[in-house]
Amino acid sequence: MSVHEQFADDLSLYALGALQGEERLAVVKHLQDCPDCRHELAQLQRDLGLLALSSSGPKPPLRSRERLMATIAKEPRRIPGRVMKRRPWWTVLEWAAAAAAVVMIVLLLHRNADLQRRLVAHDADSTEQQKQLLEAKELIATLTSPDAVHFTLVAAKTPPQPQGKAIYLRSTGTLVFLASNMPELPPQKTYELWLIPTSGAPIPTGLFRPDPHGSAALVKPPLPTGVEAKTFAITVEPAAGSAAPTSTPIMVGS
Amino acid sequence: MSRAASNMVSPDAMLVSAIRSGDEQAMAQLYERYSSIVYSVALRVLGDTGAAEDILQEIFMQLWRSPDVFDATRGSLPGWLAVITRNRAIDSLRKRRPEADITDVIVSIEPDLADAAQSARALEKIRTALGGMPSPQRSALEMAFFEGLTHTEIAEKTGEPLGTIKTRIRAGLLTLRRAFNP
Repeated sequence: MSVHEQFADDLSLYALGALQGEERLAVVKHLQDCPDCRHELAQLQRDLGLLALSSSGPKPPLRSRERLMATIAKEPRRIPGRVMKRRPWWTVLEWAAAAAAVVMIVLLLHRNADLQRRLVAHDADSTEQQKQLLEAKELIATLTSPDAVHFTLVAAKTPPQPQGKAIYLRSTGTLVFLASNMPELPPQKTYELWLIPTSGAPIPTGLFRPDPHGSAALVKPPLPTGVEAKTFAITVEPAAGSAAPTSTPIMVGS
Repeated sequence: MSRAASNMVSPDAMLVSAIRSGDEQAMAQLYERYSSIVYSVALRVLGDTGAAEDILQEIFMQLWRSPDVFDATRGSLPGWLAVITRNRAIDSLRKRRPEADITDVIVSIEPDLADAAQSARALEKIRTALGGMPSPQRSALEMAFFEGLTHTEIAEKTGEPLGTIKTRIRAGLLTLRRAFNP
């Protein structure tokens, strides 16, 4: 990559917000047509980030935190979304059946809220809707019961292999992920699931550590809507997780 | 509070997602993690603790009200916070309306600044690089960044040629870059 020398100094000034008038316009126009200089601008912004951090040290007074949290508490609440949950009780049934059941449960539960309202106005529909609700509850009870026995079926004489199944609905950003036979990790490490979009950087989807049986699940982790997924991948990351993968994926969707 | 925010040290992107859902505890966790960076940058630019506190409130409230302005796929949160804080503080210093589009700011910094040890090592590298710069180079860079002076203003202030100032600023930034990519 080579940055156009005639713009090299001005790119730094542009990143600093110090360019004005025709000088600024010339850089903006050039950046539209030059991927190398756009890359250099990103590097310069990173350099400025480092420079900004050089001032680190002073801590704000405690009253600042109280002031912020008090202000936030007065702000109108957004509609809470569902967040990532681990389901350590899940050992995995035969994959396709379990995954389909989970998706069905999620859809039916969403539908249930709507159904409850309709029951008031449409008594005639209530019988069928109640039946669907009961079926959903039965499915949940089956999957969550500590008495349920789970089996992973593999080819005869083949030791169980690590498996992951991601079911993703792009339009709503809904993801259900199930994993089984995952190797145990040291305490300072975690598994991280990534959505690999058709374009752009991998999107962190959630952290998980398998239960003693090697099973784990992520149900409806917070994700943006409308992202087209090329595949999903799993990496091993530091315990706090990473904003971008720091290691080669150990599992990738096919 | 979400389980994601309470049971583990969550990646920044997950905390921002939780904030998008109105999770106040996720906001508190991000504040604990990065308020010092925001406050330090604002204080360095403005030199006044009260004004720095105001900028601190403004930056975090902006994140609370519009978490989508930060795109986790395009950069790291602490770097982004540091640069938009600097930009906002410079605007305040010059008593002008905010003029930069903060969604255009992409700052990707590899050290995990949520990790205290990594953060301390990164800070040491940055300060060593700055300390190793020729004084005029460091001075030009800091005047441009922390005082918000244009290259023209720096040239007038120092009596140096305009081209020299431009070159010093760029060379200073490249020195910082090399500290992390030798």
